[in-house]
Amino acid sequence: MASTAEPILEVNGLVKHYPLTRGVLSKKQIGAVKAVDGVDFTLDRGETLGIVGESGCGKSTVAKLLVNLEKPTAGEIRYKGEDIGKLSGRALKAVRRNIQMVFQDPYTSLNPRMTVGDIIAEPYDIHPEVAPKGDRRRRVRELLDVVGLNPEYINRYPHQFSGGQRQRIGIARGLALRPEIIVADEPVSALDVSVQAQVINLMAGLQDEFDLSYIFIAHDLSIVRHISDRVGVMYLGRIVEIGRDAEIYDHPTHPYTQALLSAVPVPDPTAREHRERIILVGDVPSPTNIPSGCRFRTRCWKARERCALEVPALAVPAEFRFLAGPESHDSACHFAEEKQVVPEALE
Amino acid sequence: MLLEVRDLRVEFRTRDGVAKAVNGVDYGVDAGETLAVLGESGSGKSVTAQAVMGILDIPPGRITGGEILFRGQDLLTLKEEERRRIRGAEMAMIFQDALSSLNPVLSVGDQLGEMFVVHRGMSRKDARAKAVELMDRVRIPAAAERVRQYPHQFSGGMRQRIMIAMALALEPALIIADEPTTALDVTVQAQVMELLAELQREYRMGLVLITHDLGVVADVADRIVVMYAGRIVESAPVHDIYKAPAHPYTRGLLDSVPRLDQKGQELYAIKGLPPNLMNIPSGCPFHPRCPMAQDVCRTDVPPLYEVTHAGESDGGRGSACHFWRECLHGLDR
Repeated sequence: MASTAEPILEVNGLVKHYPLTRGVLSKKQIGAVKAVDGVDFTLDRGETLGIVGESGCGKSTVAKLLVNLEKPTAGEIRYKGEDIGKLSGRALKAVRRNIQMVFQDPYTSLNPRMTVGDIIAEPYDIHPEVAPKGDRRRRVRELLDVVGLNPEYINRYPHQFSGGQRQRIGIARGLALRPEIIVADEPVSALDVSVQAQVINLMAGLQDEFDLSYIFIAHDLSIVRHISDRVGVMYLGRIVEIGRDAEIYDHPTHPYTQALLSAVPVPDPTAREHRERIILVGDVPSPTNIPSGCRFRTRCWKARERCALEVPALAVPAEFRFLAGPESHDSACHFAEEKQVVPEALE
Repeated sequence: MLLEVRDLRVEFRTRDGVAKAVNGVDYGVDAGETLAVLGESGSGKSVTAQAVMGILDIPPGRITGGEILFRGQDLLTLKEEERRRIRGAEMAMIFQDALSSLNPVLSVGDQLGEMFVVHRGMSRKDARAKAVELMDRVRIPAAAERVRQYPHQFSGGMRQRIMIAMALALEPALIIADEPTTALDVTVQAQVMELLAELQREYRMGLVLITHDLGVVADVADRIVVMYAGRIVESAPVHDIYKAPAHPYTRGLLDSVPRLDQKGQELYAIKGLPPNLMNIPSGCPFHPRCPMAQDVCRTDVPPLYEVTHAGESDGGRGSACHFWRECLHGLDR
């Protein structure tokens, strides 16, 4: 954050609305699903930005926008200062090569009729300049080795692998073009606990080896803390709080972050008695009908009149602006207040 | 003991061979007690529960041995219609995926009411009133109106509440919950687990909670059994197992979970893959992945040793590891 170097990725006012239409012929627009509704963040070189949030908060849509699988309704995504929405042809292709994605479900994201070798080499068909035809098999073997799979498995099919191994194949495919940024959307949530740790360690190792920058999207707050340098918390299409991992986990100031953290079960039965739980009432509102003002106010125990009228900006709250401590980070709440909700480590 | 599973064995015959899913499981749960059954996919935790409920797919499944004692009576000797009377009325199950467990073309009121019509012979009208009462119990707002709605009109958390309401309908003595909150977001998970724990205390039910989540277990369980390759590898009161696990698999699981309260170094990762149930390793099934394995582990199946402290029994702890002492005291590290 203190680095003066230009961020590798900068997202400003990113919006993705899916129109809701009625009628077969007239297609009259009657509203919109506001999946992403004004998201800003930066990603530094070699950094991992974690994005957490519950289902429907828009985190996966952000991932799709970043890798250009969806076009934003508004806003810009700057890669090394250049707005990728304004690029086309060869320039766009070069950027897409540098931002690759790893998907959640290793069971459906690999084509069952293709060999592992063909799956991992497929990106070379689109970007043939990266690896000449004669060199591709060798590169694939190298990639298999890098992700901890036996290079002899190159002719096998996805069903011959376990879930964890398939996710390694997905990661190898993501690395094939030597990208600078990897967007990983729930990369370990389909895996068993013992295998999860293997894949997380692999991703952390690859980051050092290839100088990668990660956008790591997940709903599991413990995993996100483990791997991230900075963390952004999303709610109903917006980031409500963002900061370094200790700022968010040990000094959260947004009530939604506090509720989210307090709800995570901790593998320590002694925490049961002395832990304060913030149980939120109700469900997340529909993204077609977002509350006025602060979008969290309908579930917030602190909500007052002002929250219905004024949209809180994602900035350092006024009361912390002149402090240098960890509570002084961006939080979109009119009544931000520090509250420790994660029990302190016993060790 | 409300429920006692003794030396249960289940296998599945498939085209490729026989998968030994459950290989001699013993566990018990008392009224008012929560037993967590912890394991990864393929550990046999759900198959055991299905055998207890009598909803195992037979064939390809087959119970090849053991007893399932419910209030002292072996369920495996009962006729299907006798079991059907027990199922729902005396023991009920909550599944992970509420959307696919509920009937999409029946209103939730009809589905909840059906329990009373079938088991209690109530009229439709009385059953409807009971359904509203139950929905109130599990704190579904505006129950009187929502009773007419269909499952797709409810959110995931609300649907799971309906599943809980259905399980509670006839006030069973035992509830088996198979990953009841896995599909839910954390804030909703917290609401649902709190509700389940509260109702369990109120009705003094026995609860068997099947899960892979070490955090959820720490929150609600009294005792834990850890399963691996269709066997119980460790059994202990909840506090003991987190403080000092007596089986290397349990310890590996605990060490491989990232922590919310600290930024980790490299995570401990259990090497290798879970076993193939058609070809379970000889001796201790965990030995190919175990950092402590010795020759004896490759040849001798470890029994569930009683874990003792200075010669004293320790509240009924057991570990299926030849080297549980070393593991418990961390002597191998």
